[in-house]
Amino acid sequence: MNAAYSLDHRRQMTGMSFVAPTVLLIAIILIYPIIQSVVLSFGQSSIDGSEPYEFVGFAHYAKLMGDERFWNSMAVTFTFTAISIPLELMLGIGLAVLLNESFRGKGIARLAVLFPWALPTALNTLMWRWMYNADYGLFNAVALQSGIVDRPINFLGDEWLAMFSMVVVAVWKTSSFMALIILAGLQSIPRDLYEAGRMDGMSRWQEFTQITLPLLKGPILVALIIRSMDALRTFELPFNLTDGGPVIATESLSLYAYKVIFDFIDFNFGAAIVVVQFLVIFAMSLAYIFVLRTRN
Amino acid sequence: MTKRPRYGLYLLVIISVVISFFPIVWLILTSVKTTAGIYAWPPQYWPTPVTFENYWTIITQSPELLRYVLNSFIVGVGCTALTLVFGGLAGYALSRLNLKFAGFLMVGILAVSMFPPVSLLPSLFQNFLQLGLLNTYTGLILAHAGLFLPFTVWMLASYFATLPVEIEEAARMDGMGFLRIFLTIVLPLSWPGFVATGLIVFIFSWNEFPLALVLMTQNAMRTAPVGISLYPGEYAFPWETISTATVIAIIPILIITAIFQKQIVGGLTAGAGK
Amino acid sequence: MAIVSLQQIGKNYGSVTAVHEFDLTINDGEFLVLLGPSGCGKSTTLRMIAGLESISKGTLEIGGKVMNAVDPKDRGVAMVFQNYALYPHKSVFDNMAMALKLQRVPADEIQRRVGGVADMLGLTDFLERKPAALSGGQRQRVAIGRAIVRTPEVFLFDEPLSNLDAKLRVRMRMELQQLHERLGVTSIYVTHDQVEAMTLADRIVIMDSGVVAQVGTPREVYDDPATIFVAGFIGSPAMNFINIEPAGDYGWKSKDSSFAISDLNGFDTADLTSVTLGIRPEDIEVVARDSKTGDPWCFDADIRLAELLGADALLNLSVAGEDMLVRVGGVDHPERGHQIGIRIAPARLHAFNPDTGKALPRIQKH
Repeated sequence: MNAAYSLDHRRQMTGMSFVAPTVLLIAIILIYPIIQSVVLSFGQSSIDGSEPYEFVGFAHYAKLMGDERFWNSMAVTFTFTAISIPLELMLGIGLAVLLNESFRGKGIARLAVLFPWALPTALNTLMWRWMYNADYGLFNAVALQSGIVDRPINFLGDEWLAMFSMVVVAVWKTSSFMALIILAGLQSIPRDLYEAGRMDGMSRWQEFTQITLPLLKGPILVALIIRSMDALRTFELPFNLTDGGPVIATESLSLYAYKVIFDFIDFNFGAAIVVVQFLVIFAMSLAYIFVLRTRN
Repeated sequence: MTKRPRYGLYLLVIISVVISFFPIVWLILTSVKTTAGIYAWPPQYWPTPVTFENYWTIITQSPELLRYVLNSFIVGVGCTALTLVFGGLAGYALSRLNLKFAGFLMVGILAVSMFPPVSLLPSLFQNFLQLGLLNTYTGLILAHAGLFLPFTVWMLASYFATLPVEIEEAARMDGMGFLRIFLTIVLPLSWPGFVATGLIVFIFSWNEFPLALVLMTQNAMRTAPVGISLYPGEYAFPWETISTATVIAIIPILIITAIFQKQIVGGLTAGAGK
Repeated sequence: MAIVSLQQIGKNYGSVTAVHEFDLTINDGEFLVLLGPSGCGKSTTLRMIAGLESISKGTLEIGGKVMNAVDPKDRGVAMVFQNYALYPHKSVFDNMAMALKLQRVPADEIQRRVGGVADMLGLTDFLERKPAALSGGQRQRVAIGRAIVRTPEVFLFDEPLSNLDAKLRVRMRMELQQLHERLGVTSIYVTHDQVEAMTLADRIVIMDSGVVAQVGTPREVYDDPATIFVAGFIGSPAMNFINIEPAGDYGWKSKDSSFAISDLNGFDTADLTSVTLGIRPEDIEVVARDSKTGDPWCFDADIRLAELLGADALLNLSVAGEDMLVRVGGVDHPERGHQIGIRIAPARLHAFNPDTGKALPRIQKH
């Protein structure tokens, strides 16, 4: 017992020592690399540190502004996000409302919906790529046999079809996540509100628009922001489905950054890309935190 | 309350379940077809004959595919253990010890948890290369732990907040220090929280792609999602092997999800709602 | 056993003051109750003594030693919590033995001491059970037993009975009383229940918004409340208050009704422009109407509501437009709508300064 320090002081010290390992690891793995990426993006250097770092100012960013492939990847990323998120939201709300009903086999239904989310995106993507396969895929087999088409559809070979196919995989995988968050929100709505609504003579649809939706605003917003940030950094989906193709029609920002860094081995230019991506997503995450804070 | 006809409800449920399941089912069906059956025309919807030769082939001729699964397992377990220990202590301190900067730290941790992994790649690859951490379990475990610690801290901190604080105060009066309280009182009382968090972190680690791709460059060290994705190499995609390997790689996740569905869903929604 | 001394103790949370500085000495073997509504600072005070909260200002001494920076376990205090705070994953025996184990008391002595206390509290048959398998009363006994086993110099109780149902609460209250008589250990007891306070306490400390309003024996705080707050808080149903002001020759008159009295019977009203009069419902008696004309303490009253409580009944009266509650016997009490006469016992009257809330001193009559 050291009475020299106050009780509070000793508790603060203990607490700090509990927090320290976590803070340290987060600093090393998450914070320092971001700072280093910023430094790299302003200079010219070699991967193994054999050449000295040379400061080049905004040269990489200037190059980025004139880089058509960068703007393409931005457009791809935002198009993908803008199409898939509303679809996920609608399906997510629908699924949540469905799973909030009581019926037999609800546990299994819930589990089935959870699976796509729980499996690795990379492997999910492979499953779909197999089904999309132009020669042996399930979709073309059904389409050809039933006579809907007479030539196989090249799902991943056409610019718009490839984007569409990518959106389908994302929606399939993450609608369940949306549904789960919204379902939790649904279950926190007191039952007697609906009973009061029924006493007031509301129809099912009015119950949904007058009670359910307004009270789900919070969970929906949270789900939207989390998913938007996910979609903005999508990587393994195009990596495994199309490798960004055809040509660069589905090359997301993350995928382009990866290629610049590890295929073209241009760390410094790649760093500039990831810094831009970081700023976009970080702005969104601040918006998210702001939303959470104002809600509480 | 009047009973409405529920056929529509069941129809919708069945459609949702089928859509959620069919890619997985199709994959499993593919994995038990013969190679000829996979590439047959007219297409084989039901495998005839059902064969496990693809599984046998992987076991006898492509042990690296099993190695990927083992690697994922080692990294997943290591990362989960590390995050639970670190995150448990930090979450306890942040939710219970009235730390001066607790609010700031919690928000800061939430903010960094949203960093896009690809942004970390140039720096992490370079540093791990120079530190000799590329292609080591330690390296990827540390990277995954750093990536998923924020989630862990938030999950556990909010779980601890649901425990009655008086029990810990009684332990203080009985003469326990904070570490002993954490180990002998808080830990046994919050194991459901630890189980849920641990399972989700394990799934996160198992599924993580960009860091595993970049930090494990040797074939023998790759995790399952990365190894299988890169498996085909330069030639045509060997779907009979890929589908089978994928089934093997997702089975652990399917089992965990099926058994611990409640805990995982509870943990996820609590984490997202906070 | 020990004297507990609080010297200018106070607690701040940032700029918020939870407990204003005050002095208090708790005598050896005394049973002291901290009483007040929730948020009044009574629990914070107890927790400062326990060492669960740091002390922002002042000095805490237990048994003559300064304890401000001493760990809870080294203060020689034991605490009983409102929610029992038993370790749910440990048996009753382990719950009671924990502190001794941590002090590295030999196992056979732990056996003996826990066994003895369990015997005293009738817990011997439950020692191997987990808390979840016990009733509320048994859990509270275990919580008390855990405190006794440590043979502390001071017992701290934080609303220990408020989770029990009414019947059990009365029984446990009596058990606590007997226990205190038997052990004679200095005890500090926090509650918001005035009945517990009145029955258990040697002295009561009444707190209001972080300020000590009065320290005194149960008799003193009931008979001579120091402030309007104490007067209103102690006693059930609560004291009737009437705001009056000087009305020239007539004496004193209510501000918002025609209620008036001729003189304030010896209170030192100085030159106050208004006074709050306090009359306990049990200090008003029902008399025959117009029976004592000329008695300035008799009034006519309309019964607006009569509530039978059982042994007693409460009458809601309107006395010259002033609401007043009166407690009468439950047998053949007057009914609603009737008009009655009442008499206020002048010696039992209270008067307060409405601005400061302080009781007005009585002028000593010789």
